[in-house]
Amino acid sequence: MTKKKKETGLTSEVTEPIALHLTVSESDLRAKLEGIKGHEGVIGYILRNSHSASIDLKDPAKIIDYAVLSSSAIDASEEIVDQFNVGDIKSIVVEGKNAKMLSMIIDENRISIFMEKSVDVETLKNALSK
Amino acid sequence: MEGDLRSFALKSALEEVRNLCPDISSVFMFTEDGEITASDQGTPEASIVRIIDALDGLLEKAETMGGIELVTIRGNRGEANLSHISHEYLTTVTTEKADQNVNLMTRSIITTVLRLLEKMNLAQVQTTPAETITKPVESAGPAEDLAEQAKQPVEQSLEKPETTESERVETTVNHETAQSEPLANQFIVENAQGMLVAADTVRVDRDTLQRWEDLQNRKIEEVEVETFGGQSTRCKIKPIKETKLEGKGIIQMPQKIQRLLNLNKGELVKVKPITEQEDDGP
Repeated sequence: MTKKKKETGLTSEVTEPIALHLTVSESDLRAKLEGIKGHEGVIGYILRNSHSASIDLKDPAKIIDYAVLSSSAIDASEEIVDQFNVGDIKSIVVEGKNAKMLSMIIDENRISIFMEKSVDVETLKNALSK
Repeated sequence: MEGDLRSFALKSALEEVRNLCPDISSVFMFTEDGEITASDQGTPEASIVRIIDALDGLLEKAETMGGIELVTIRGNRGEANLSHISHEYLTTVTTEKADQNVNLMTRSIITTVLRLLEKMNLAQVQTTPAETITKPVESAGPAEDLAEQAKQPVEQSLEKPETTESERVETTVNHETAQSEPLANQFIVENAQGMLVAADTVRVDRDTLQRWEDLQNRKIEEVEVETFGGQSTRCKIKPIKETKLEGKGIIQMPQKIQRLLNLNKGELVKVKPITEQEDDGP
């Protein structure tokens, strides 16, 4: 196997940088999200991509509810931007009576941050985009 | 107010908003039941239907957050906004050049129009005795009490001095009707949630419905819902699906019926099953 890898240099050149990029991006995001989680009023976050998902919520009983909500918001938004030619999704903010959710799609990562209504969404967006 | 007139007023308001703000590419409204209320001319109905379908899951799941107040979807070529205003959703799509205040302004205008329409509707109901306005049921209480009352012989005819044979026959028929008078119960109005809610159906708890059916000895499919202002309407009846809502004295009612009766969540209504005689007509 090792010999074969060496022989097909092209394959290793293509795959390795992508794998490296994904790892860096995801770990970078995770670090940012950990920082955001410390903000006052932030309830937790969900980070999801094609190969993994991380959920960190203060109230574990709501994990499924929030995961479904996050997924529904992103799916609905994709349909809306498609129908009305709004372009690629930059951010989704869902404001409920008791809480708020900010969702963003960064590369292949789908992020949703849940927070109390008093939290300024723009601050979190900036913290994620840095 | 006629639904068409309401729709016309809203449609005109949406058109005006769009004319004033060229950066609004699409604006439309729909009810909590998923019924399109009004839209600007440029937005195809098929697109709106697809959006409503797409939002169905989100609106349902947002109960986790206490229900939706506002959704903002920002894209690199524009923005879509969904606001919950008085049992309806206003959707505005703007280009990337649009001022951030456009959405606020649209929401304010539509909120004002909706309030105005509600007031006009109320004024119309108060000034014209519409066909739907009927005399309120005099006795409304627990089903058991009313059942006892229904079993009591009706003495009204005894007070009449002399009656002809035909009058006697009529009185007997009336007695039978009175004895089988359906029971009126009071319920607290609760919104019927979800996009797939039938606009003509209310839901009460299974026990009440069963009790009515036992007393009537027939399946109850329709009820008369009556407000304490005296307005009433007929609608289909089904049992509440959620077991946690059983026995709480609530009636799940679609927005359409609430609007028709000028009702809001939390208000009290009287509900009585439609009898066979009423079903068959006079």
